[in-house]
Amino acid sequence: MLEQQLINGLTLGLIYALIAVGYTMVYGVIQLINFAHGEIYMLGAFFCVTLITAAGLPFYVAMLMAVVCCAMCGILLDIIAYRPLRRAPRLAALITAIGMSIFLQNLALIIWGSRSKPFPRTALPGYLTEQALTVGSVGLSWLQLFIFAVAIGMMLLLYLVIQKTRIGTAMRALAQNRTAAALMGINVNRVISFTFALGSAMGAVAGILVAIYYNTLYPTMGYTAGVKAFAAAVLGGIGSVPGAMAGGVVLGVAEALGAGYVSSLYRDGVAYAVMIAVIVLRPSGILGRAVTDKA
Amino acid sequence: MLELKEVQAFYGTIQALKGVTLEVNAGEIVCLIGANGAGKSTTLMAISSVVPVGGGTIAYDGRDITRLATDRVVALGITQVPEGRMIFPDLTVLENLRMGAYLRRDRAALKADEAHALDLFPILKERRKQLGGTLSGGEQQMLAIARALMARPRLLLLDEPSLGLAPIVVEHIFEVITRINTEGTTLLLVEQNAQMALQVAHRGYVLETGRVVISGTAADLLADPRVQEAYLGMDMA
Ligand SMILES: Nc1ncnc2c1ncn2[C@@H]1O[C@H](COP(=O)(O)OP(=O)(O)OP(=O)(O)O)[C@@H](O)[C@H]1O
Ligand SMILES: [Mg+2]
Repeated sequence: MLEQQLINGLTLGLIYALIAVGYTMVYGVIQLINFAHGEIYMLGAFFCVTLITAAGLPFYVAMLMAVVCCAMCGILLDIIAYRPLRRAPRLAALITAIGMSIFLQNLALIIWGSRSKPFPRTALPGYLTEQALTVGSVGLSWLQLFIFAVAIGMMLLLYLVIQKTRIGTAMRALAQNRTAAALMGINVNRVISFTFALGSAMGAVAGILVAIYYNTLYPTMGYTAGVKAFAAAVLGGIGSVPGAMAGGVVLGVAEALGAGYVSSLYRDGVAYAVMIAVIVLRPSGILGRAVTDKA
Repeated sequence: MLELKEVQAFYGTIQALKGVTLEVNAGEIVCLIGANGAGKSTTLMAISSVVPVGGGTIAYDGRDITRLATDRVVALGITQVPEGRMIFPDLTVLENLRMGAYLRRDRAALKADEAHALDLFPILKERRKQLGGTLSGGEQQMLAIARALMARPRLLLLDEPSLGLAPIVVEHIFEVITRINTEGTTLLLVEQNAQMALQVAHRGYVLETGRVVISGTAADLLADPRVQEAYLGMDMA
């Protein structure tokens, strides 16, 4: 029972972590909570399914293309909605972010309708729908293993990009001091675009994984996932990438345990409770440094 | 090499530069002195396009760079050591240096320049794996200069390099400034320490509330009673 809850929680937590890094990276470079990030996650799922059902593409190809499309959507989102407000008060950008979230949600409603859709399971490689192993009452599916592998792989990749590449170093420099970064010759807008692309790609992967895992997708799916991932990012310390990863996993496990041992009614409440507790007890999060408010 | 004509700059409705005209010729050290709030840093930031220019023009090698983006200005060979150093606190000393060379592609020469920069400030060599934010103020200033040199600038803008440093370190920094200049880099130097600055500079400008009020050779300025009284701390009574 406990083991099963832990496995389920870990699966969910890795997905939250994938979404949370998008919030935290964007916050790191432009100090904006990109509320439309949850919608990019939703679009990832819809793009993937549409490419499978309407274009007849094989699953892996559809997934890759959906991720690339979402990366481009992320870049466009920044250029259209946020870039014109770079010098405006932060509240203006924040309200715009909420507006973009609502806009994208409604756009999806118009295109795909409000009814939830199943994921086209027949397009999935056969093994994904089978049980990988069962020990006593604890089961682990290939799908869960697939989620573990993809999520952990993506995060390792992200870590390497941020730590080892030229543009990754530029991202870190930009997050630490924008003026100094520009004075080094860094094209600030390009690095911001890159950050959006990277975060959106991670979010899209999460959206696809969730749609497969729960076998459902709908235009408002980005809302709850977004709030939870945001809570995970806050828990880890907004702006800290390792923090967002850890925050996601902790939150996923806490949620599964809360649902398993208290009541499944409290599942969603756990995220809010965690967020409130962090804000009250340690606003800088687990791994974040204490920051003074720059607003 | 660099020519500012009637350059104006605004922070919201506050006009920080009311028409600054100055020029820097290749090979020179030009210093810019003036009281707090006179607009010295703003002038450098306008040249680097960090602060938008609200009027007037900036030309570099005869080319108008007034509205160029900051990274393009850097690409042309104008690098700045900003006021307050602006070291990247969570990057190591070595990573900070490498950020300075961000636009360079000649990897082979980079290694040599890195060694050269660390030779100018041996203390940085000992600290190269340490995070920038853990360096002392003086060490950060040295790192900021070394980092700017990594770009191989043709024109280096230095904003108060001696601020808050012990006299012996200030002396070292000024030695380095002279050395960089003899090695071929042109310098525009902002300084509170007018005495020191005018000793190494060829020419100078005095800025007062956003305007150039006095200009001339370093020797002229050192001899100018207005400069002596206001900026060299000499009592004329
Ligand atoms: N970010 C800003 N917002 C508003 N006003 C500013 C800003 N930066 C500078 N100013 C104003 O512009 C004027 C010129 O400032 P600047 O920093 O260029 O002076 P400075 O000559 O470098 O002074 P210091 O010797 O103290 O460094 C000052 O009156 C200052 O108050
Ligand atoms: Mg200044």
